[in-house]
Amino acid sequence: MHMFRLLLCGGLFFSHQARAERMVTDLSSHAIEITSQFSGTELMIFGAIERAITRSRGQNIVVEGIDYDIIVVVQSGRHDVVVRRKEMIGPIWANKGFRTLENVPGYYAVTTTRPINQILTPEQQRLLGAGIDRLKIDFREPVSKEEEKNFRAGFIRNMKAKKLYSQQEGTISVLDDILFRAILYFPANMPVGDYQVEVHLVRDGEVILSVESPLEVGKKGLERLIYNFAHESPAYYGIMAIILALSAGWLGGFVTRKMQ
Amino acid sequence: MQIYLPIAEMSINIFLLLFMGGGVGFLSGMFGVGGGFLMTPLLIFIGVPPAVAVATEANQITAASVSGALAHGRRGGIDYKMGSVLIAGGAVGSYFGSMLFTILKATGQVDLMISLSYVVFLGGIGGMMFVESVRSIMRTRRGDKPVAGRRSRTWVDALPFKMRFRASKMYISAILPLAIGGLVGVLAAIMGVGGGFIMVPAMIYLLNMPINVVIGTSLFQITFVTASVTFLHSVNTQTVDVMLALILLTGAVIGAQIGARVGLKLKGEQLRILLAILVLVVCGKMAVDLVSEPDEVYSVTPVGRSH
Repeated sequence: MHMFRLLLCGGLFFSHQARAERMVTDLSSHAIEITSQFSGTELMIFGAIERAITRSRGQNIVVEGIDYDIIVVVQSGRHDVVVRRKEMIGPIWANKGFRTLENVPGYYAVTTTRPINQILTPEQQRLLGAGIDRLKIDFREPVSKEEEKNFRAGFIRNMKAKKLYSQQEGTISVLDDILFRAILYFPANMPVGDYQVEVHLVRDGEVILSVESPLEVGKKGLERLIYNFAHESPAYYGIMAIILALSAGWLGGFVTRKMQ
Repeated sequence: MQIYLPIAEMSINIFLLLFMGGGVGFLSGMFGVGGGFLMTPLLIFIGVPPAVAVATEANQITAASVSGALAHGRRGGIDYKMGSVLIAGGAVGSYFGSMLFTILKATGQVDLMISLSYVVFLGGIGGMMFVESVRSIMRTRRGDKPVAGRRSRTWVDALPFKMRFRASKMYISAILPLAIGGLVGVLAAIMGVGGGFIMVPAMIYLLNMPINVVIGTSLFQITFVTASVTFLHSVNTQTVDVMLALILLTGAVIGAQIGARVGLKLKGEQLRILLAILVLVVCGKMAVDLVSEPDEVYSVTPVGRSH
């Protein structure tokens, strides 16, 4: 391995002045606005790694790194969801059983430089909350091991199908071991609210740096107006919807009568 | 061009919606029916959440029926007293319908109830229309004359609480119109239909109302009852998408004009068979969806949303 060879060059053994890794990251946008033409969007998460530099007696400059790995985790705020299961009731398929999953993100995406199992152990992934399979999911109702497995898998399949959960391993590109770039997709049905973007720098099976950036997702313009109005003052929204329908219907009738 | 629907929370092609509005408007113009019973299933087929489809369609029907009601009103085609009794029934019906809707939505059964109601009602109405039109065509071929004349007295005339309805020239019990209005109110709330397809035959055959006030009075009632449904769904479940309703309406206004002109050129019985087949196809599709094994048996719904 490259790193191992570099270390042998002397860095580790004669280090006097050392500077640890630094990482700067940014997003192509810190706010996603859901407008009337919104049909999903991509977000670029990029950054630069400054490698650890070790000076040995003012002579050799040893650069550590080469096999840095990046793990990017993006998630929305957490809410409870109900997962229902359809079963045959007579001839028809109907929702029968349900379980409440507590505090699960409405959007969750992981992307990495390499298959995540090659970067971190399952235990490390769990601690870091990285990886769909390691996501902590608590059930409100008591569940058997079997049920937990099935409901969890059903939930994740649903979220993946809606493109709200995704895991892309090995898709972060790293340029010259300095610049990295991850691209994540956000579908139109993404939940609104404050998101969290975490970038983890891993070297040799160890998370050495984690940088967090906020991401805000909101409905803008007419969409936000309608959505907020409907949820904050539903009675007035209802009256507005009726008035709107009555006037639109009247106008439609008026126009067609004039045209004839 | 994609458009994001704020309440349905989905992105969809605006031209598809306009086309659907136009298509259903065309059919309703041609057949003289409201179109809610076609539009709601179509919205569900394209992926709009069933609860949003029902509530939004009620909102659209308010708009679609008001211009018709106004036109009939100008011509004296509305029995306002009968309309008020039907509305009173409708208000109670829509209230209970909306309550049922809210409870079923919370327990995850609302989609099933919507589908089941559609299968039952579309199947029943479509089947009856089909049989009736085929019989009628056979009668015409054989040269039989339809039997004319007013119906004889039945149990309807024996009910108490009689009221005088001047515009309809009737003196009948208020119970039956209240019950009809109530049933239509429930259907409007749980199926997103105006209910004309139930109310018009009931007014003609059960109440024996004169034809010239039937359509106007029914539109008058539908305007108020769907408005009440719109309000109740807005308050209880926040499922009315005004953006979606307005787009569908725009298409429907244009489609209805063209449909009305085409309808004039076709024969009544052929039209009824066509409509019956259409209704049965939609019913069949919903029935198949109910009994076939779903690709995914698990579904996810958010609870306690803060937005």
